[in-house]
Amino acid sequence: MRITIIGTGYVGLITGVCFAEMGNQVICLDIDDDKVKKLNGGNIHIYEPGLNIIYSRNRKEGRLHFTSNLADAITKTDIVFLALPTPSKEDGSADISTVLAVSSSLAKLFSEGKKNGDFKYKIVVNKSTVPVGTSARIKEILEEFGLVSGEDFDVASNPEFLREGHAVEDFMRPDRIVIGVSSPKAEKILKEIYNPFVRSGNPIIVMDEKSAEMTKYASNSYLAARITFINEIANLCEQIGANVDHVRYGMGTDRRIGTKFLYPGMGFGGSCFPKDVRALSSMAEQSGYDFQMLNSILNVNRLQRTRILKKMTNYFGENLKDLRIAVWGLAFKANTNDVRESPSHYLIRELVSKGATIIAFDPEALETTKQELGTLIEYAEDQYAALERADALVIATEWNEFRRPDFKKMKKLMINPLIFDGRNLYEPNIISQYGFEYFSMGRPEMSRK
Amino acid sequence: MKNICIMGTGYVGLVTGACLADLGNRVRCVDIDAEKIKILNDGKLPIYEPGLQELITNNVSRERLSFSEDISGSIRKSEVIFISVGTPSDGDGKVNLLYVEGAAEMIAQNLNDFKVIVNKSTVSVGTGKRLMEIIEKKSPSKAEFEVVSNPEFLREGSAINDFMHPDRIVIGTNSERAYGIITEIYGPLYLIETPFIKTSIETAELIKYASNAFLSVKISFINEIANICDKTGADVHVVARAMGLDGRISPKFLHAGPGFGGSCFPKDILGLVQLAKERGISPVLVEAAIKVNNAQRKVMVEKLKKLVPNLGGKTIAILGLAFKPNTDDVRESPALDIIKILLEEGCTVNAYDPVALDNAKKAIPEINCYDNMMDACEGADSVMIMTEWNELRQIDLIMLKEKLGAPNMVDCKNIYDPVKMKEEGFNYLSVGRPLLEAD
Repeated sequence: MRITIIGTGYVGLITGVCFAEMGNQVICLDIDDDKVKKLNGGNIHIYEPGLNIIYSRNRKEGRLHFTSNLADAITKTDIVFLALPTPSKEDGSADISTVLAVSSSLAKLFSEGKKNGDFKYKIVVNKSTVPVGTSARIKEILEEFGLVSGEDFDVASNPEFLREGHAVEDFMRPDRIVIGVSSPKAEKILKEIYNPFVRSGNPIIVMDEKSAEMTKYASNSYLAARITFINEIANLCEQIGANVDHVRYGMGTDRRIGTKFLYPGMGFGGSCFPKDVRALSSMAEQSGYDFQMLNSILNVNRLQRTRILKKMTNYFGENLKDLRIAVWGLAFKANTNDVRESPSHYLIRELVSKGATIIAFDPEALETTKQELGTLIEYAEDQYAALERADALVIATEWNEFRRPDFKKMKKLMINPLIFDGRNLYEPNIISQYGFEYFSMGRPEMSRK
Repeated sequence: MKNICIMGTGYVGLVTGACLADLGNRVRCVDIDAEKIKILNDGKLPIYEPGLQELITNNVSRERLSFSEDISGSIRKSEVIFISVGTPSDGDGKVNLLYVEGAAEMIAQNLNDFKVIVNKSTVSVGTGKRLMEIIEKKSPSKAEFEVVSNPEFLREGSAINDFMHPDRIVIGTNSERAYGIITEIYGPLYLIETPFIKTSIETAELIKYASNAFLSVKISFINEIANICDKTGADVHVVARAMGLDGRISPKFLHAGPGFGGSCFPKDILGLVQLAKERGISPVLVEAAIKVNNAQRKVMVEKLKKLVPNLGGKTIAILGLAFKPNTDDVRESPALDIIKILLEEGCTVNAYDPVALDNAKKAIPEINCYDNMMDACEGADSVMIMTEWNELRQIDLIMLKEKLGAPNMVDCKNIYDPVKMKEEGFNYLSVGRPLLEAD
C-alpha cells in the first residue's frame, strides 16, 4: 500500500515510521523545509524509545521518504493521513484551521488530477484530534471541488492513542484501533493496513465518524479525571493520616476501577490532556451543554500544580531567597523530551519568582527546557552535579534513573538532606533511614520538625 | 472453625454471617430489633438477595448459623465480632455513628476474653480509633482486644458471589495477631488468589469511600459524555466500548443512564465530601459528580417531554423501580426521583417492577402499582424503562405497542436497539445514542 502522511510532528512521524516498518511505501510531508531536510539527513527531532532504530532501517530499505512538495506526496498514493496540529485557541476550543486548509489543498490537487486523467480513488484519514463533525467538514470541502464521495474519495476518522514515551510500542501493539468510517470500501482498505497490528486479538472497532472523534476526547478526558480524582484523594490522605499508596491499591483491585493510571502527582501536563480536556469542555459548551466534571478537573489540576510549592513554603517560609534548589526532571513525564505544560516548568517559574536559585537536570529534556527557560535557571550535567550545595531536591519527573539513586552520595553533596518528591518515587520509611527529610504526595511526612 | 458474632442483621450482616458460616465457622447473628430476629428464626428474610435464602437455610440446618436476641451471651461466646450495623446519613451528609458506638459499648461490657472486633460498617475515617477508646474505657474486665477495619464491597444483587469471589480483601489493623486471625477466617478466599491488602485502620476506612466515590465519578463522567453525544450525534455505546478497551480505563461501569442511586453511592460520596470539608479540603471533582447525578434525572424527563410535550394529565408507565436489577431496594432510586418529577408535572404514574413494588408504594403512595407490565402500560402516553431487569430486555413489542396509547418509549437504560425500535414503529429515545423517531 502507498501511504502519505501529512505533518511530521510527533504523531505523523510515528505513524509514518510504523507503517513503513510493515512494508508499506510511506511518504511524509511537511511544509517546513528545514524539518524535511533534517529528516532526510537522518535527524529525528523528537525523543521516543525505539523510534531511531526503525526509522534508520526503513530509510535504508527505501520505504520511508520525506518531502515538502504536496503534489509529489499524493499523486500515487492510496491513503492520505492527516496528522496535523490542533492547538488550543484562547477560549480553549481546538483550532482546526490547518486541517481545513490542508483539506482544501488536497481537494484542489485531486480535482486537477481528475481533470488530467491522472487520478485514482483515495481515502483521506484524519488522525488529528478534532471536534466532532470535522470529518464531515473535510468531506464537504472535497465535494465543493467537484469530487464524488465514495467514488473519488472517502473520509475516515482514525484517532491516535499514542502515549509519549511508549508511542512505538503503542502503535505496534495497540489496546484497540478505532476507525470511524461509513464507506464499506474504505473500511475494507483501512482494516487491511491495520491487520498486521492486531494479530494478538486486540480489536479494530469500526464506528461512525462522529463517535470516533468523540472517543478520542472522551478517553483522554476520562484519564485526566482518574488522575484528578487520585490527586484529591492524596490531598485528603495527607489531612487524615492515611497512605494513598494503599488506598489506590485497595481501590484499583476493584475490577470496575482498575489499578492503572491512579498515580498521584503534580497534576497532569503535556501536549494532550490539558488541550483535549479544554477542547471537549468548549465543544460541550458550543453544543449547549455545561460539562461540569471537566471544569472541575481543570480547576483541581490548576491547584494541584501548587501543592509541592506549598509544601516548600511551609518548610522554608514564603521567601526562598538564598536557597539553592535542585530539580530532577523537566519533561512533563518520563521517557519524553516534551516540556509543553510541564508541571516541572510551572513549579520552577514559581520558585524563581520567590527568589530561589534553581539548578536542574533531566536526561532528555535539557535542550527543550533551555528553549523555554533560557538563563532563568542553571543546568546540571548529571543528576548528582545538580545536588552540589543544594538546600533541597525536588523530584518532578518519574525517570527510572531517579528511582534508585545513591542516597549516601546524595546526602554528602547536599547542604541539607531534604527531598520534596512530586512523583512518590521512594518509600518514606526507607528514605528516612538514610537520614533524609522527605515530603511526598498523600503519604506520611518524614520531617525532623 | 472460629466462633463469630455478627452484630446487625441488615444486608451486609446477613450476607457476611451466611457466607462465613458456609466457610465452616460457627456464626451467631444478633440484632437489637427483636422483630427482625423473629422473622429470621421463622425462616424468612427481611431483604431480597439472590441465593441468600438457600445459603441461610442450609447453614441453619447444619447448626453453623443462628439468630439470637441474646447479644451479651453471643459476644461472650465469640472470639471475633463483626460490627455491621446501620450508619445512616445525617442531613448534612455526616455519618451517624450512634449504632456503631452502641455496639462498641455492648462489646466492652462483655469483654470476657481476648477478642478481635471487626468493623464492616461504612464509617468516617477515625471511627476505628474511636471504637478502641470506647471499649478500653468501658470494659470492666480490661481483657485484651484488637480493632480491625474490614470494609465490605458487596454489590446488591450479586452479594454472595462478591463475598465468595472478591476482587480484594482490605484489612486495616496495627496488630499482627488480629491480622493473623482475620486472614485465617478469609483463608479459603486467599486460596483463590484474592489479593489481601494489609494497611492501617484509617487507610482501610478511606479505601471504602474512595472506591465508591471513584465509581460515582466514572458514572457521572460517562453520563456527561452521553449528554454531549445527544447534542452532537455521536453514539455513547461505541464511545464507551472504545474507551474501555484502553487498558488504563477498564470497560466496566461505563454505562450511561439516569444516574446512580441505591443505599451506598449517594451516602458514601456525601460522607467523603463531609470528611474532606471537615479537614478543610473542597473535593471539587466528587462534588461535580453529585451535581451531574442530580441533573441527570431531569435530563431523562426532558427526553420524555420531546415525545410527550405537555405532561399535565398524561399517563406514564414506568417499568422498573429498583435502583438496579436483582434487588428490591428503592433507596435513592432514579425511578423514584423521576416519578416525583412526573407527579409534580401532573402525570398519572403506573408502575411495574418484579420485586420492588411494595417498597416503592411505601415511599410514594401516589404510584399505581401493577403486577403485570402490560397492565401498567395500558393506554399510557409513553413508557419509560428505568431498571434493566432481564425480563424487560425482550418485551413483546407488538403487544406493548397495542397496549400503549401512543408508541412512545424513553429507554433510560439503553437496553433496546434504536434501529429495531424504529422498525417496530416506536418513537424511541435512549441515552446518548442518535435520535431516531418513527416517521
